[in-house]
Amino acid sequence: MRVSRFSFKPQAIAGAFVAIVAGLLVLYPVAYLLQAALDTGDPEARPPTAYGFDNFAGLLEYPQIILNTLTVSFAATAMALVLGFLMAWILTRTNVPGRRLFEQMMVVPYYLTPLLGALAWSLLGTPESGFLNQAYRALGGAEYLIDINTAAGIAWVMALFEGSVAFVMIGAVMKSMDPALEEASQVMGASRIRTMLRVTLPLVLPGVLGAAIFVFAEMLGSFAAALVLGLPSRYYVVTTAIYQFMQQYPPKIPLAAAMGTSLFVVMFVMLFIYRRIITAGSYVTITGKAFRPRVNDVGRLRYLLLAICLFYLFASVVLPLLTLFYASIQKISTAFPAASNFTTEHFTKAFTMNAATTALGNSLWLGLWTATLGVLLMGLISWIIYRSKLPGAAAIEYIVMFPQAVPRLVFAFGMMWAWLMFPIPIYGTLWLLLIAYLTVFLPLGVRTISGVMLQIDKSLEECAQMCGASWGYRIRTVTVPLLWPGLIAAWLLLFVASIRELGASILLMGPHSKVITPSIVESWFASSTELTAAMALIQTAVVAIAVSVLLAVTRRATAHITD
Amino acid sequence: MADAARTPHIEVENLEIHYGVVPAVRGVSFSVQPGEQLTLLGPSGCGKTTTLRAIAGLEKPSAGEIRIGGAPVYSSARSVNIPAEKRGLSMVFQSYAIWPHMSVFENVAYGLRVRRESKEAIVEKVDRALDMVQMRPYRDRGASQLSGGQQQRVALARAFVFQPAVLLFDEPLSNLDAKLRADMRIELRELQHRLGITSVYVTHDLEEALAMSDRIVVMRDGLIAQVGSPGDIYNTPRNAFVADFVGSANLIRGRHRADLDADGLVALETAGGVVYGMAHGRPAGADLTFSVRTVHLQLSAQKPAAARNVWPVRVARSVFQGDFTQVNVAWGDQVIVVRGAAMEPLAEGSGAFLSVEPRRVVLLEE
Repeated sequence: MRVSRFSFKPQAIAGAFVAIVAGLLVLYPVAYLLQAALDTGDPEARPPTAYGFDNFAGLLEYPQIILNTLTVSFAATAMALVLGFLMAWILTRTNVPGRRLFEQMMVVPYYLTPLLGALAWSLLGTPESGFLNQAYRALGGAEYLIDINTAAGIAWVMALFEGSVAFVMIGAVMKSMDPALEEASQVMGASRIRTMLRVTLPLVLPGVLGAAIFVFAEMLGSFAAALVLGLPSRYYVVTTAIYQFMQQYPPKIPLAAAMGTSLFVVMFVMLFIYRRIITAGSYVTITGKAFRPRVNDVGRLRYLLLAICLFYLFASVVLPLLTLFYASIQKISTAFPAASNFTTEHFTKAFTMNAATTALGNSLWLGLWTATLGVLLMGLISWIIYRSKLPGAAAIEYIVMFPQAVPRLVFAFGMMWAWLMFPIPIYGTLWLLLIAYLTVFLPLGVRTISGVMLQIDKSLEECAQMCGASWGYRIRTVTVPLLWPGLIAAWLLLFVASIRELGASILLMGPHSKVITPSIVESWFASSTELTAAMALIQTAVVAIAVSVLLAVTRRATAHITD
Repeated sequence: MADAARTPHIEVENLEIHYGVVPAVRGVSFSVQPGEQLTLLGPSGCGKTTTLRAIAGLEKPSAGEIRIGGAPVYSSARSVNIPAEKRGLSMVFQSYAIWPHMSVFENVAYGLRVRRESKEAIVEKVDRALDMVQMRPYRDRGASQLSGGQQQRVALARAFVFQPAVLLFDEPLSNLDAKLRADMRIELRELQHRLGITSVYVTHDLEEALAMSDRIVVMRDGLIAQVGSPGDIYNTPRNAFVADFVGSANLIRGRHRADLDADGLVALETAGGVVYGMAHGRPAGADLTFSVRTVHLQLSAQKPAAARNVWPVRVARSVFQGDFTQVNVAWGDQVIVVRGAAMEPLAEGSGAFLSVEPRRVVLLEE
């Protein structure tokens, strides 16, 4: 097949541009990561003098780390699934009071991030000074009630966060199930229990299994909670071990690279299995139609279910925020402070201290640029993947979705090497972070924009073409206006994700390019707990404002389109 | 344009289109005369829409050539593929493709704005186009506030307002309800005559094809099954597929009795008796198939006077369907379907006489 010299010229240029940019952003660091993992030659020499798998053999010297990772991941996945399934069932299938409101509230834990949860639960649950343990001792208990600096503690904090992810995934499956399938079973004379076991459960199972694998893969790559809660007790998982290998002197670069590579291979396989389950195993439940789920009257039981909902939101949202606030307004935080202990000095300090304001300023600058450039780049990529008939569009999709399978810390590791070698000196500047954010958030942006793009009938663009409009003209007059809600949503999501980013930033930021989230972690370990709490709350407030703007804008925009 | 009448406006030659390795169109050739309305008719998956989209430039063929006004817009041999926006065509889409973020006026004005027409010209032309489709009162409405039929009219106005050389229609009426569809059919035909524009129309609806077209191309499995005027296609289908797809027909198979051929008719021996039909110049071999339209058969209690094609039958089932009554009769070893508007009431199980004029019995090419 030959392409004429007239045809699709601007499209072809845009396509080539996108392919090169996506390839450079994603594959270039991955290549350096693999090179470092396979480098068995002189550690001082670059490029490597010998290649081999010896670094991977070195992993076997750390069986405890692998065991820790699996323990935490399994425990957190199990808890998150139980929470997610229970909440999904309660909120879609029972007549618990206030279902609508709870359903909207269920995304809040996700926006609060594992870091915030870890900081708050650390304040609550460290054996010596944890507020809960202080209260326990005040009530006459001995030593401590809970120890958050353990595998169970890390898993608990992660489960509160991932529970909201599991809820969204399982809830979507429950909602997309045609209630007629269950009614048919009952009409044929099956009992409620039998219907539940023979019809409902098999239909929901692929969705639950998919959520389990997705959450488990996320857990393997999770970093913040394990860092904050595990470091004090020297409880390391793979990601924190990689970080530790990088931070110590001399750094164990090959080992960190081998560990990172193994981790991302495992995650890649799991996410592949996840996609297979989601696309192949969903039977007839997913018809693209939203059904009004059949609501079961659970009688008195609904007050118990209501209590479960309230407990989840309390433990994952209300309690962490209150704890941080409580700590941030004390000179030295304690469970039972004297009246003289209260102060606003930490907030004043957070707003005046050079390190904190610079970091926040840098984060806002990065957020604005990541979101703006990201929407342009990712919008173009989405269009190329889903709308153009350019050859290789499918390959671009695989490349841009790739960062999802790589923990950001591991990706940052490859990026550090890659951009250290890059002829233009951007290492240690905010530009490096900007490039890193644009890379690791590719899947987020492309998925958000393409989700809206796929809802826009293709013939709307084709019709503009038949009216004689050139590629640029129809993108400007038809595609972009119709895509507007998606673009705004993507902009705000990218902004929020940038402000909260930890895994990639912690490795890539330099002394002159500090950003807020790693600074919060640094402050936690190096300076005062109370100041850290204040900084975390300020960051949360910025995110909360962006998210409420997001919700308001998307609601108005979609209302306009569906009018 | 003195010889415009002689050069076909659109020529499609040996067009082949593959989706990956799956062939959608497998070598199709036809041409459309200036001002002619040609319809591509066929069941879903026959390649009709793909062919139309290839003419539009929205689908890239694998081989063949498409010429518009004599100039190739696609040619695999000459490596030409002019993008859709430069072919000077226009199209009405199945989904209407009304842009929800624009008013009716802006939707229709789009093609004129692309062509950088002056403000006054745009207003004048859009208003004239909206008048033609009776949508002038809605000109400032948001496009998403329109009903299906109104959207259809706006889509139509938008398609012809910039005086394209050719109008393409991709099942434009298939999303409308039955009654509105019947009205729009007539309206569209009238508009087409007034504009005198060359058009290619795609549909799977037989009545639509018969009502709308100067010529019909029946397609099946990516190939052309028959080309002809609506009358040709309906009255003398070439094969069993066309006979059955274009209306409802009874197929009667049997052995050729050349010894009984008389008066230019072909005689066929079947289990139900001897059937006489017309060959229409088609070769008559040993084993033949006739096609008889269900509406061309007569059923009566008394034996009709005709000498040929009268057979005694038994009424198996009689179903009143409103505009017509369908009667299934047992004839030889098969069931024959008879449809008529004003039929004698015949009790199920009773005997009757089935008859048909020999000219209504058509020999098929196998």
